[in-house]
Amino acid sequence: MTPTAIVLAVLLIATLAWAGYRFQRLLRPLFQAPREDRLDHVGQRLWGVVTNVGGHSRLLKNRYSGTLHLFIFSGFVILLTGIVQAFGQGLVPGFSLAPIGGNTWIALLQDLFDVIVMVGLAMAAYNRYVRKPERFRGSNEKDATIILALIFAVVFDMLLHNAFRVATGTDPSAPWRPVSSGLAALFGLVGIHGRSAELPAAIFYWTHVLAVLAFLAYIPTSKHLHIFVGIPNIFFRNLQPNGVLPAADLSQPSIGVKDVHQLGWKQMLDLYACTECGRCQAVCPAHAAGQPLSPKLLIMDLRDQLLDAEGIGGHRQAADGGSRELLGGRILDQTLWSCTTCRACMQVCPLHIEHVPKIVDMRRQLVEQGRMEPRLQDTLASLTQHGNSFNQSERMRARWTRELGFEVKDARKQAVDVLWFVGDFASYDPRVQPMTRALARILQRAGVDFGILYEAERNTGNDVRRVGEEGLYEMLAQHNLETLGKCSFQRIMTTDPHSLNALAQEYRTLGSTYPVIHYTRLLEELLTSGALKPERPLERVATYHDPCYLGRYNGGFDAPRQVLARLGLRVHEMGRCRENSFCCGAGGGRIWMDDTGVTERPSENRIREAVALGDADYFVVACPKDVVMYTAAVQSLGMEDRIQVKDVIELTEMALSLEPAAVA
Amino acid sequence: MHIAVVVKQVPDLVEELEVDAAGTGLDRAWVKMKLNEFDDHALEQAVLLKEAGGAQVSVVALDGEGIDQVLYAAVARGADRALKVDAGTQEPLDSRRAATALAGAIRDLGPDLVLTGVQAADDLFGQMAPFLAAELGWPHVSVVSQVEVAGAAVRVQQEYAGGRMATLEVDLPAVIGVQAAPQPPRYVPVSRLRQAMASGALETATAGAGAGTGGAAVTQLAKPEAGRGAEMLTGSPDQVAEKIEALLRERGLLRG
Ligand code: SF4
Ligand code: SF4
Repeated sequence: MTPTAIVLAVLLIATLAWAGYRFQRLLRPLFQAPREDRLDHVGQRLWGVVTNVGGHSRLLKNRYSGTLHLFIFSGFVILLTGIVQAFGQGLVPGFSLAPIGGNTWIALLQDLFDVIVMVGLAMAAYNRYVRKPERFRGSNEKDATIILALIFAVVFDMLLHNAFRVATGTDPSAPWRPVSSGLAALFGLVGIHGRSAELPAAIFYWTHVLAVLAFLAYIPTSKHLHIFVGIPNIFFRNLQPNGVLPAADLSQPSIGVKDVHQLGWKQMLDLYACTECGRCQAVCPAHAAGQPLSPKLLIMDLRDQLLDAEGIGGHRQAADGGSRELLGGRILDQTLWSCTTCRACMQVCPLHIEHVPKIVDMRRQLVEQGRMEPRLQDTLASLTQHGNSFNQSERMRARWTRELGFEVKDARKQAVDVLWFVGDFASYDPRVQPMTRALARILQRAGVDFGILYEAERNTGNDVRRVGEEGLYEMLAQHNLETLGKCSFQRIMTTDPHSLNALAQEYRTLGSTYPVIHYTRLLEELLTSGALKPERPLERVATYHDPCYLGRYNGGFDAPRQVLARLGLRVHEMGRCRENSFCCGAGGGRIWMDDTGVTERPSENRIREAVALGDADYFVVACPKDVVMYTAAVQSLGMEDRIQVKDVIELTEMALSLEPAAVA
Repeated sequence: MHIAVVVKQVPDLVEELEVDAAGTGLDRAWVKMKLNEFDDHALEQAVLLKEAGGAQVSVVALDGEGIDQVLYAAVARGADRALKVDAGTQEPLDSRRAATALAGAIRDLGPDLVLTGVQAADDLFGQMAPFLAAELGWPHVSVVSQVEVAGAAVRVQQEYAGGRMATLEVDLPAVIGVQAAPQPPRYVPVSRLRQAMASGALETATAGAGAGTGGAAVTQLAKPEAGRGAEMLTGSPDQVAEKIEALLRERGLLRG
């Protein structure tokens, strides 16, 4: 072996050993972590890797950053050949990629991608140091800079090495290296060619090799771990339906997560995969509202907690300045309570990191320890005692039917076609009851055979579960499933998207198989079949707000829009629509908590967005909670004369000319 | 330290209350019962003492419909034992009778300290704690908002009208009527409640002879008659303010 080869071999082995050791330390807790099954549907998992990694499907949703990432990523794949070449040559005399095109097409690609990566790097630097989007706030800036510098060193030195080799006049791949050749020509102008180019070629060979080694050594201590764990993280992503939370084992004396080691192995892998890109932070309604939650910082905090616990050294201080506690220490109770479980973060995360299950798992511990604000505690007590969140008697649940003018079938006593699961807000909230009655009248007019459960209905527990009160959720779910089991019906319709999620998705894990639809779907059917005929088309402009639990969680994007079109409305979409809808702020139990610390309510932020469209007469919603939230928002902004909040039900009633008095 | 917490249920006011056919009680068919809020605070105070310095907490109640649930919830909250006292009836007793019915069982239990709610919806005079203390022959303090152990005594904060507080030391054993625990009663997750129920550790005792007697008898119970409608003050804010001032003067509520 030549002395060069020995030096290179020693350096390489030392770096690999260090990196391997680091990885082993990082991965050790994963092997002792609670089980999570992520090996089913291998085909689907692989396909996800292809589209997400190869196709950059989520990354490209942000055009600028997605493109620059694609430049750097594709460059990396190509330049790997250059790196192999560099090390191969150094270690094994006579090593060459020439037989597979190393001196022809590979050389050409290397040359071109050298430039493409540098363009990507320039874009990244411009983004990070000039544009400075808010999503980077809180990310580790120094780490990002080191990484950018190292990548630059790797590709720049590689390019110069190639250029000087071309300048020596002995490089057989020279005709295939247009960029290097151009540079070599420039060197020639200052007299560097032939023998005199050999020394700089050697220098840049070594700086290139050292940069590669430095990069390799640095990665396992940085956020750029995603180069290695990103692909596995996407492969092992959660394939369960969006609306199903991982269950907690209630037979255990304690549930949830209070120590970072109680996270499942995939939940831990998530922590290493995070690139601190902040896409999640940018879409988080809690963060936008000025609350102490950023999904990005939450993941970073959990990662640092894990690194600290493993003695590998976290990068950042705990929020309380150094306590070893996870809950109330590194992650504050208020941070966890700020989440609306809207799922926007999970929808955008390019690494498919699962924020909401972690948040709920930690909330489960807070609930177990009774750490919650009084209003939430009272609500949970009411749900335990009376099965509704309004602290009212079960017998008041169907009181809204009294002013209806006709009897609604009792689905417990008679078979019905549609079993209407009304939900707490639509049943008890005096501001929503008029709409509930309107829907009853619409169904009556359309000749739908429907019934309700009267006092036997209970809150479905969708948000109870997301608050972290797993036992209460199970109790409510069991009660509802027992009641439904004794009824005869074809399908269930819900007013509330949150009930829809529980009945259609969560209850399936408890053995339910009922078909469940949202009322917007039924209205769409009735309008399409002609059972409902609008008498006076509304001929106005509406913008439609996708409720998180109807849209993102249950894919109900089209039915409400079709209803609006059939009512004669023109829909002017807001920028944040469909999957990218912006949460009203009420989900995940937030509606049972107070607004302290909120600087701008998400609902007000949303109304401003709608008003800024300029021509929307109606702000249309399809969730009873939204009617309450947005009406309040319009009032507090004093924008009553600019836009009106309307539920799809109200608009349908208007178009049908179905005034309450006409029926009663 | 062994602390006994005496609890009971009161009607839950989410349901409308109806007078029964005899006109002497509530129509129980429609009434939902829940734990007396002040007893809830007494229990919280006991659990806090247990957490602070170690104590055994026993929760004691007269048998009655739904009482098992209340006792299990107390166990889930941190009580070590739960005792149900059979006074030969499922009907709720007034405080006088309840105190005589419970005294024997409490004496057998032998606690150092008895905590109970300062009052209840059906004991607005707060007689339960004093009656119990009289039956046991122990000292008693009521309207207490904090209890601390001080050697062989307890130091309590007693509240007076106008927000004045007194700190008293009471020799043990003693009976304390709790107005409020230093922190609101904590939430009991349903999973805990279920675990407590699954453990099924309720003890029972029988009230001694002569228990549950004495006291007053209700001869008639009626809903309050609706009073005269409220007088609405109308006019501009200034006019309304003047009217309010005139009214306050008229009733002698304003000086100067
Ligand atoms: S679910 Fe919504 S509120 Fe919760 S962290 Fe994610 S984006 Fe923020
Ligand atoms: S969690 Fe995902 S979206 Fe958020 S910063 Fe990390 S990688 Fe980016």
